[in-house]
Amino acid sequence: MRYRVRHITTYAYSEPVTLSQNLAHLAIRGSVRQQVSEARLDIEPTPAVVRRRSDYFGNPTDAFTITSQHARLVVSSQSVVQVEAPITPDPESTPAWDDMSLQGGGSDLAAAEYRYDSAQIPCAAVLRAYAQPDFTPGRPVLAATLAFNARINREFVYDPAATNVSTPVLDALDLRRGVCQDFAQVLIGALRTLGLCARYVSGYLETTPPPGRPRLVGADATHAWAQVWCGSQHGWIDLDPTNACIPGERHILVAIGRDFADVSPLKGMVLGGGQAEVTVGVDVERLH
Amino acid sequence: MQESRLQPRYQLEAGRWDECHLPDGGLRPGWLELLAQIDRLGAREVNRRWEQCRRIIRENGVTYNMFRDGAAADRPWQLDPLPLVLSSEEWARIERGVAQRARAIDGFLADAYGAQRLIRERVIPAGVVFGHPQFLRPLHGVGVPNQSRLHFYACELVRCADGQWRVAADLTQAPPGAGYALENRIVLSRALPEPFREMRVQRLAGFFMRLRQQLLSLAPRNRDNPRVVLLTPGPFSETYFEHAYLAQYLGITLVQGDDLAVRDERVFLKTLGGLMPVDVVLRRLADDYCDPLELRNDSTLGVLGLAGAVRAGNVAVANSLGSGLADSPALVPYLPAITKALLGEDALIEGLPAWWGGDQAEHIIARLPDLILRPAWNNRGRPVLPATLPLVELSNLAADIRVRPHAYLAFERVARSTVPCWDDGRIVPRRMSLRVFAVRDGDGYAVMPGGLARIDAQGDGGQLWFERGGGSKDAWVLADGPVAEVTMLRANDAPLELKRGGIDLPSRVADNLFWLGRYAERAECIARLLRSALSCLAEDAAEADQAQIAAYLAILQRASGVASPPGPPSAVLVALIAEGASGPLKPVRDHLRRTAFGVRDRLSADTWRALTSLDAELGGEGAEDANQALARLNRVVIACAALAGMGRENTTRGPGWRFLDLGRRIERATFMVDALHAALEDGHGAAPELDALLRVADSAITYRSRYLTTIQTAPVVDLLLTDHTNPRAVAFQANQIAEHVANLPREAVGALPCPAERLATHFQAAVRLADPVDLCQRDPASANAMIALLDDLAGTLTALSDAVTTAWLTHIAPSRAFARDDIWRPTDDTPPQQA
Repeated sequence: MRYRVRHITTYAYSEPVTLSQNLAHLAIRGSVRQQVSEARLDIEPTPAVVRRRSDYFGNPTDAFTITSQHARLVVSSQSVVQVEAPITPDPESTPAWDDMSLQGGGSDLAAAEYRYDSAQIPCAAVLRAYAQPDFTPGRPVLAATLAFNARINREFVYDPAATNVSTPVLDALDLRRGVCQDFAQVLIGALRTLGLCARYVSGYLETTPPPGRPRLVGADATHAWAQVWCGSQHGWIDLDPTNACIPGERHILVAIGRDFADVSPLKGMVLGGGQAEVTVGVDVERLH
Repeated sequence: MQESRLQPRYQLEAGRWDECHLPDGGLRPGWLELLAQIDRLGAREVNRRWEQCRRIIRENGVTYNMFRDGAAADRPWQLDPLPLVLSSEEWARIERGVAQRARAIDGFLADAYGAQRLIRERVIPAGVVFGHPQFLRPLHGVGVPNQSRLHFYACELVRCADGQWRVAADLTQAPPGAGYALENRIVLSRALPEPFREMRVQRLAGFFMRLRQQLLSLAPRNRDNPRVVLLTPGPFSETYFEHAYLAQYLGITLVQGDDLAVRDERVFLKTLGGLMPVDVVLRRLADDYCDPLELRNDSTLGVLGLAGAVRAGNVAVANSLGSGLADSPALVPYLPAITKALLGEDALIEGLPAWWGGDQAEHIIARLPDLILRPAWNNRGRPVLPATLPLVELSNLAADIRVRPHAYLAFERVARSTVPCWDDGRIVPRRMSLRVFAVRDGDGYAVMPGGLARIDAQGDGGQLWFERGGGSKDAWVLADGPVAEVTMLRANDAPLELKRGGIDLPSRVADNLFWLGRYAERAECIARLLRSALSCLAEDAAEADQAQIAAYLAILQRASGVASPPGPPSAVLVALIAEGASGPLKPVRDHLRRTAFGVRDRLSADTWRALTSLDAELGGEGAEDANQALARLNRVVIACAALAGMGRENTTRGPGWRFLDLGRRIERATFMVDALHAALEDGHGAAPELDALLRVADSAITYRSRYLTTIQTAPVVDLLLTDHTNPRAVAFQANQIAEHVANLPREAVGALPCPAERLATHFQAAVRLADPVDLCQRDPASANAMIALLDDLAGTLTALSDAVTTAWLTHIAPSRAFARDDIWRPTDDTPPQQA
């Protein structure tokens, strides 16, 4: 599937900003499944310095500094990307989860980076206890993870009012509520506490308008899901606990990290600015 | 056991090494000589000299802030008068071992931030790097100057029962303690000059010269004359004393995060003269706090964009950002293997026996009662002694180790050595550890011949050493041959460019000096006022001069906002005085401390001593009666005068002095305008008010010599407002202020005066044009004109202070993070879709 993705962020400040330094994870990460044929980042006012580099996790990232005084900042990212469906292994054919677990003696250096506590996702006994019923001894890792993925989707209520971006994963677990970020982080935290390797994915999801209604430009949103390591033969497999599925052609992956903090789409610091009002518009358009 | 007069009851502990005594009772090399010298001096003389040490330490203001809270008192540094003595052979072993360990750690850092071969070849478990919260991924693959990430290193050594020194902790990002070791040396070599000379103790200065050279050599540009700064978290840091001390000793600029700015991927120091490039940053800030943009975004102490400037190769940071990765117990078990793999050598100095949970969880759980547990990633975390835990907590601990094994590190419990310490005329054993410092030198490391020995308070130990009343010792490394004298002054043949008072004064320093001037003057004004008021209290309260006291209280209320409760003025005054140190001078003292600490490295030793004694007098001892208060206020006034004299006579007339004196002048003018306002408010001044004015302004004698005993409003107003020859008069301040403002540094000289100059000129003119005779007529119009003039003057002073701040000092305003992560939560409005 081929898409044009537009992601426009506007900051309107109540007082002038004299200096603004920013770090963006807005450019789409390419992979064998994702051919990126266009990746533009337009910034207004024009920055004094823009640098694109590849971050530690292999994501393209843009650092930019604006030194001219401004009261409005517009960051607009536009990409064209071709997404292929994944080849998903038979879950029952994957290695036993307890053999995969570092504590069980296995260790894959390619994935070891994603095995430990990260800034926003700590390992915790409650996470392990919550996941344990699906992780019976000897069960294949993908089969167990898919079952757990589906259970999160069943047992958690999708509720944007219940949590915010900084809600700790253990609070979300307590509440059994949240949004995609919370769902993904519960899944990742539990897998890591079991000794498995799991990573956080930020991206977009193509939405389908309600029947009979036109597709609204800008009504889409960013999305988040997870990946679990299934051994060197199968590699990383995507899992979307918000939608109880394995992401396919309609999931567009932007960046991969240990948690949200590694891949926050746009973060920065300003001098001045007063109150900032922010609007975000995301538009995922299917190209034919 | 060989008996000394001073240690008849020195008890050796079984199973512990003693630094001084052999098990058979003899003394180890070097100690015999030291103890003989101490014996010769005798207990009384050693005590006397020890008191002298303590006084020097107090006067030099050597402190260790125990609390982050600025209001809490600093604790004076504790130094034991007996040094730790180490023979040259013994030291050579330590030196080789520590230098090798530093090379191994530097190699480990290069590998972790580069090829990660040690992980791939399974020399170390992946988790030691990947699980470490201080593995700063944004710095991976970033080049470093001189191919080194570890420029300054320290390790904490303990001596075990077998006599072997072992490493208990590695300090790899901003090791504290070297400055305290230096101060210990300076103080102790003065207190014990005879043994110090005769025992041929190796000097420390050469080490600091190497440190300075190492820093200079890191500069990526301006290599002839690089600008080096020491980045401190600020006066509330527990080792701030040392930051200021080292900056002064090394001759580099002490800065806080807000003093630096990054533009176009280069680091600059914000100064009065604009932005000046910075080439090398010696940091005393934990590395994740160094850049709120790329590292910890909740850090308010760092420099926005520093990581980017480092990545671009425009600035060197020592130790490199990310070196905190090695600053954790988790590395201890793996250093022998790292040393072997990277250097091809066997480790010359071992760490304490240790096990990391990520690797050895079951071993740790099985042996819990024999071990000490530490947080794996943090050298400062509290240790847990499982042997002391109740059974239920022990089993909870074991369960947690299974869930979060990588968070734990277990050390074998070892018996640390004891060392002779001075205890009120006796020599007693205390447990100790020794912090040793090393600096990068060519391809290897130079180790400081000495160190900071830390001794436990009696029977105590562990991490919270200083907070629990532990002390320190100088460490004397004996030389085989004669000792060379070294000085920090540079023996560079290149002629130095002559310089005059710098516009490169950091704006924050200028700001602090300005306010230091204001608060020092405020302290003096309030102290004078209270002192004059107290002298009106008679032995018998009934005879007190109530009208006069009321006049003083009115001035106090106007000038410092201390409201007078109803009641007879004498009673109000007595109540005010009874508050002692928490009275009207309390807020001034707090502000003085804050501003003085912020410019500590800029103040001479004498100025600092004057400030310390002023601070002590302002502190006082709780409640006091009128006589005690009077005596204390006298001392406050004298301390203030000493401080002012130091500023006048011992300070070069650079911009720093101008800001200090400008603050003082603005404050004095403000106080005098307020006092006049309070005294003249109700129509015209009556005798008690006028008398109070003269005394507060220290001008009573001048007045009497001019007008004898007749007291009238116009002459008093002339003397205090318009007489430009009276150093306490407003007119005198107006002239000084105008001169200072005209001479402050500016980036561009425009045709028009700047706002501060306009205000200073207006102030000067308004005072000069005032006619005291006209203003003091006994009619309402004159009285109103007088009050209007005073209101105008007070308003102008406030505006002037603000204008100075805006023009010269504002770019110190800190940057602020936006909370935009709040908006950036993914999927706020897309409902889940079943695929």
